[in-house]
Amino acid sequence: MALREQVRFLLGDQPRQLGPLDPTMTVLDYLRLIERRIGTKEGCNEGDCGACTVVLGRIEQGRLRYQAVNACIQLVGMLDGCQLLTVEDLAGPDGGLHPVQAALVAQHASQCGFCTPGFVMSLFALYQAGNTQDEARIDEALAGNLCRCTGYAPIVAAAQAMRTPGAEPDRFQAAEAETITRLAALADDATLCLHGDGRRFLAPASLGALAELLLAEPEACLVAGATDVGLWITKQLRQPDPVIWLGRVAELKQLALTGTELSIGATVTYTDALAQLEALAPDLGVLLRRLGGEQVRNAGTIGGNIANGSPIGDSPPALIALGARLVLRRGQERRELPLEEYFLAYGKQDRRPGEFVERIRLPKPAPDLAFRAYKVAKRFDQDITAVLGAFALRVVAGQVAEVRLAYGGMAATPKRARHAEAALLGQPWDEAAVATAIAALPEDFAPITDMRASAAYRMQVAGNLLRRLHLETTDPAALTRLVPARSAAHG
Amino acid sequence: MTKFGVGQSIRRVEDQRFITGSGRYTDDINLAGQAYGYVLRSPEAHARIASIDVSAAKAAPGVLAVITGQDIVAGGSGNTLPCLIPMENRDGSAAKLPLRVVLCTDRVRHVGDHVAFIVAESLSAAKDAAELVQVDYDSLPVAADTEQAEQAGQPLVHDAVPANLSFDWEFGKRPATEQALAGAAHVTTLKLVNNRLIANPMEPRACVAEYDAGGDALTLHACTQGGHLWVDPVAAFMGMPREKIRVLTPDVGGGFGMKAMIYPEYAMAAWAARQLKRPVKWTAERSSDGFLSDVMGRDHVTVAKLGFDADHKIVGMEVMTWANMGAYINLFAPFIPTGAALKVLPGVYDVKNLVYRVKGVLTNTTPVDAYRGAGRPEAIYLMERLMDQAARELGQDPTELRRRNFITAAAMPFQTAAGERYDSGDFAKVMDTALEASGWSGFASRKAASERRGLRRGRGMSYYIESTMGDPQEMARILFMEDGTVGVVVGTQSNGQGHETAYVQVLVDRLGVPFDKVKILQGDSASLPFGGGTGGSRSLTAAGWAIRDASEVVIERGKHYAAREFEAAAADIEFSRAEGSFKVVGTDRQIGILELAAKARAMPAPAEGVAGMDAEATAKIDQWTFPNGCHLAEVEIDPETGVTTIDRYIAVDDFGVVVNPMLVAGQVHGGVVQGIGQALYEHAVYDEFGQLVSGSFMDYCMPRADNVPAMEVRTVEIPCKNNPMGIKGCGEAGSVASPAAVINAIIDALADLGVTAVDMPATPLRIWQLIQERRQPIAAE
Repeated sequence: MALREQVRFLLGDQPRQLGPLDPTMTVLDYLRLIERRIGTKEGCNEGDCGACTVVLGRIEQGRLRYQAVNACIQLVGMLDGCQLLTVEDLAGPDGGLHPVQAALVAQHASQCGFCTPGFVMSLFALYQAGNTQDEARIDEALAGNLCRCTGYAPIVAAAQAMRTPGAEPDRFQAAEAETITRLAALADDATLCLHGDGRRFLAPASLGALAELLLAEPEACLVAGATDVGLWITKQLRQPDPVIWLGRVAELKQLALTGTELSIGATVTYTDALAQLEALAPDLGVLLRRLGGEQVRNAGTIGGNIANGSPIGDSPPALIALGARLVLRRGQERRELPLEEYFLAYGKQDRRPGEFVERIRLPKPAPDLAFRAYKVAKRFDQDITAVLGAFALRVVAGQVAEVRLAYGGMAATPKRARHAEAALLGQPWDEAAVATAIAALPEDFAPITDMRASAAYRMQVAGNLLRRLHLETTDPAALTRLVPARSAAHG
Repeated sequence: MTKFGVGQSIRRVEDQRFITGSGRYTDDINLAGQAYGYVLRSPEAHARIASIDVSAAKAAPGVLAVITGQDIVAGGSGNTLPCLIPMENRDGSAAKLPLRVVLCTDRVRHVGDHVAFIVAESLSAAKDAAELVQVDYDSLPVAADTEQAEQAGQPLVHDAVPANLSFDWEFGKRPATEQALAGAAHVTTLKLVNNRLIANPMEPRACVAEYDAGGDALTLHACTQGGHLWVDPVAAFMGMPREKIRVLTPDVGGGFGMKAMIYPEYAMAAWAARQLKRPVKWTAERSSDGFLSDVMGRDHVTVAKLGFDADHKIVGMEVMTWANMGAYINLFAPFIPTGAALKVLPGVYDVKNLVYRVKGVLTNTTPVDAYRGAGRPEAIYLMERLMDQAARELGQDPTELRRRNFITAAAMPFQTAAGERYDSGDFAKVMDTALEASGWSGFASRKAASERRGLRRGRGMSYYIESTMGDPQEMARILFMEDGTVGVVVGTQSNGQGHETAYVQVLVDRLGVPFDKVKILQGDSASLPFGGGTGGSRSLTAAGWAIRDASEVVIERGKHYAAREFEAAAADIEFSRAEGSFKVVGTDRQIGILELAAKARAMPAPAEGVAGMDAEATAKIDQWTFPNGCHLAEVEIDPETGVTTIDRYIAVDDFGVVVNPMLVAGQVHGGVVQGIGQALYEHAVYDEFGQLVSGSFMDYCMPRADNVPAMEVRTVEIPCKNNPMGIKGCGEAGSVASPAAVINAIIDALADLGVTAVDMPATPLRIWQLIQERRQPIAAE
C-alpha cells in the first residue's frame, strides 16, 4: 500500500502540503496557530456558535461544491484534496468586497464583528448554492451561527440582498474550472499517513485499502465527519491513535436508490442524504433538518451517527422504525444485521475489531406504511433531543398489521419498544390499544433523569408521542405540529 | 448638516475590518515568548479545601508555573478584587461585602471558583498539567436559591455574613407610602422573578499580560469596556504604582456590561507574567470558563404593591426585592439592584410615594453584576407588569391607565419620587406614535384570524424610561497628525457600537474636516489621564460632549494662528464649520483647518500652552439623560405546544438628537432581541447542589435567527436638555423595554383562561402547563 505522508489542499488559492503534524489538530487551531490566519474566530469550540465557520470546496460530479463547516471540530487531515476558504479569501486582490460582504455592510449586519467572519462564510456558502429570498431557507442556513449584537434581522436582510439576479459570476465561480483542475491534481490512490507526536492520521483512498488497513489497525478510531470525535479531542482532551478517516473512500459516499431500497454509504452526510430520505419518508427530512446547524449537517454522517452508538443520536431510532439493516465489513467478509441489533449497551456496539460500517440498507416503505418521527427538545433548531419517538405502522382493515416503535433518549441505546409493539400487533388501531401500549412502555424502558429531562417526563412523553401517532393517523386535520408544511415536528 | 455629519446613516468605518477578518481581538494578539495560562476550577459549589498538591503538575512537561492562592498571599498582595460601591444598610450599619477572591486558599464558593493557575509553553501542556493537580475538597452544604438564601438553617456562604445577607438597603418614604397604600382605592400586588442571565458576548474574555522587568512595568492587553477602570485594581493587586500599569484594549467582541470588570484570571496572568518575565496569555473557553466565571445578570425575586386612587391615579409604590449577588460581591454589584434600578423604578409615571427595599443575598453561585441595562430592565419590567395587571384589575384599557398617570411634557423638568430630575420627554406623543404605527386598533381582526388557525393572540405594551451616564466626566484630545489626518483620543471603548463612525460624525459636524481624514484612537489607558469607559449607554453623550468641547478649543487656537497667518486680529477671524476653514471677516481670505494645523506647528503658540492646534477638553456631566420609548409586541401562542411566536414588534424611542440613525436602529434591534432572549429563552439554572445545569450553548438557549421577529423601529426626537448635543443614550434601551412588552402580550393572550402572571423565560413548557392547569377538563388524559 502506497503511503503519502503529507496532507495536500488549497488554502484559498495557495497550495499547502503539510506534515509531520499533530494528527488530531483541528482546522481552527491550524488556521489560528500555524497559519496565523486569525480572522476565523473561536466562540465556543464545540460546534454550537459558528464563529469558526469556514467553507470547503470539493469536486462533486464534475462541479465545484462549496459547503460551510465548523473549523473547531474538523481535523486538518480532513482537508485533503479540498479548497479551504476563510474570511480572508473573499475580498478580491484589489480589496474589492465580495457581494456577501458588501451586503453585510450595507445592512449594518455587523456590530462587534466577532461572529461576523462566521456569518460571512455561512452566507458565502449560501450564495454559492444559488439565489434565495426565502427567509426559512436563510434561517436554516444561519441556524448554526450565533450573534449577540445585531438581533439577526440585518443579517437576514443582507442574505436577501446579497445576490442580484443576473449578476456576473463572482471570482470563485469564474475560477471554477481552474480550481477543479488544481484539486483534481491533488487526488491520488496512496493512503494518507499524517503523523506527529508519535500518533497517526490515516486516510485510505479506496474501500479495499480501508478494509485492509483496518485489519492491520483493528483498534483504530474511525472518523467520518468528526462532529462527535472533534469534541472528544477538544473537550475531553482525548488523543485517539491512530485515527482512520473515511472521507476519501468514494464508495462509502454513494447513495443509491433501487426499486426496493435506498443504500446509504457510511459517509453520506446528512445534507446529502436529506432529499432522498425526505422523498422516502417526509418526517425523516423534518427530523434531519433539525439536527445540528447547517455546518454540522454538512460534515456529520448518518453512518457516523449510527457507528458511535449515542443513545440520543437522532437518526438511529428513525432508521430502526423503517426497518433499516446495517452492512458491516471486515477484510473481504461482510455481514448484515437489523440496525437495532447493532446497539448492545451504552457505548458498546456490535462492531468487531477490524470491522467497519459499510452501508445502511433502507427498504422503501410500503405505500400504506405510516411513518412518523417526533423529536422533543427545548428549541426547534440545533438542540439535543430529550426524547425521540419514531414509529412505523401499517393498519389493514382497522387492525395493526405491522408496527415498529423505536425510541431515543429512553434507554442506554436507541431501542425498540417490543412490549408496546406486542400490545398493538393484531389489535384494532384505537385509543384503547394505544392505552395498552402506553401501559406496556415501562416494561420496555426505565429512562434516567438528567439535565435534559426527568425519567417521569421521558416516560410521559414517550406515551404521549404514541397518542400523537394515533391522532395523526386517524384524524388528518388534527393540529399536532408546531410548524406547518415542510418543516414540522417540533416536540 | 454635512454629508458625513450628525443625523446621517453613515456606513461604519469599522466594517471594512470586521467583514474581511482583519478585526484584531485580544486572542488574536501573540507576543514573542508568550506562555499560556489555564485555570483549574472548582467542580464543587461549596467546599473546604483540605489540601492542594501541585508537585506533579509542576513537574509535568512544558509547565512553567503553577500558582495557587497561597503563593499570592505569600507574595504580600491582597488576594481579592475590589467593589467600588459604598453600601449602607437601612438601619445605618455597614453592609458586609465579601470580595471576589482571585485564587481560593481554604474554601471554594461556587462551581468554577478559581483554584490554581497553570502556566505552560502551550495550552495543551497547561491543560494536561491541570489534571495532575490534586485538590482534596470537603464538601459543604449549598445555598443556591435567591429567595431561600436568607432563611434560617441555610448554609452560610461566608461565615462572617449572617443569614447570607450582604446588605439590606432601603430608599424612600416608608410611613408616607404605607399610609398612601392603606388609603388607596385599589392596590395591585405582584410577585415576580427576574431570571438570571448570562451575557455571552460572542468573543470570550481574554488577556495577554506583558511584564517589562527593566522598567518594572506591566502592560495588560485585554477585552475591556474601558481600560482606565482597571488600572487601580491591577496596581493594587500587583503592589505596583498605577503609573506602571497600562491597559490596552484592541477590538472587543461585545461586552454588555460583563466585560467592564477586572476578573481573577487577568490578575493571575499579570502575576504570572511578572513571576516568569514572559508574556502570559489567557483566553476563556466558552463552557469551561465563560459560563462558570463571567459575571451573570439579573436574578431578582420581587414583591410589589402599586396603589391607585378612585381616579386610577397612582398614589404609592412599595417594592421589596431579593437580589442574588452570587458567592462574592463584584465590582459594581450592589449598585445594580439598588441605586441603578431605583433611578427608573417609578417609570414614566407620577408616583407620589415610593419605598424600595433590597436585600442583597449571597449564594453558592457565580457572582452577579451589570448586564445590559443593569438594574433598569429589572425596574421597568416590574413597573410595566404592574401597570398591565392594574389595568386588568381596574377594568381599564392599559394605554389609558398609562396615559392617565404619565408625567406630562408640560411638567418637565420633573423631580421624581426616586430623586431623579427628568429633563424632557413627551410620553403621550411617543405612545400615540407607537399605537398608530402598530395598527393597535386593528388587533381584534388579527386576533380573530389567529383563532381561526387555533392560535391565541395577545398584545403587550412596555413604556420604559432609562437613565444613562455612569462616570460623570470624560475627556477627549484632538491631534493633528503629520500625515494630515486628525486623531481623536477618547477614554470610552467601543464593544461593537460603532464609535469609530459616530464620533467622527460629531467631529466633522464641529470642525468640517473630511470624514475619511479622522481616526478615533481608543483603548489605551496611557493615552489620557482618565477615561470613563463604555457602559450605562453613556459613550456618545460623554465622549461626544468632550469631542465637542475640544473642538471649540481647536477653533480658539486656530483663530490665533489664522490671525498670524493673515496678519489680522484674532477677533476678525471666524470659523466656518461647514467648510472647515478660518476666514478673515469681510474678505475672501481663508485657510482650511488642516492646512492651518500643518502650518501652526512651526508658528508661535498662543500665550500659554504648546505649539500647534492640538487640543483637549474635559466634559463635566452633572445631569443624566432619560431616553424613553414605547414598545409593542404581538404574540401568537400555540395552545397545543405552548410555543410563543412574536408576530409583530414595534419600537418607538425618544433618543433625543440622533447622530447616526442606522447605528441607533442597530442598538435597538440587538437590545430588543436580548430582551426577547430573557423573556422567552434564556435562563441560567442552578440545581440544589449549586451545579449550573445550563452551562453550554446547547443548554443555555440563546436566540437564533429564526427566533426573532421582523421589527419596526422609529424615533421621536425630543432633544435632551442636559447636554449640548441633545443626545439621549440608546445602547441599553431595547433590553430594558422588550421583556415587559413580550410577557404582557403573553399574559394578554392567556388572560381569558384566568392567567394573570407568567414568569420569564416563558418557555413552551411553562406556557403549556399554565394552559393545561386551567383547561376543563384536561384534554387527552
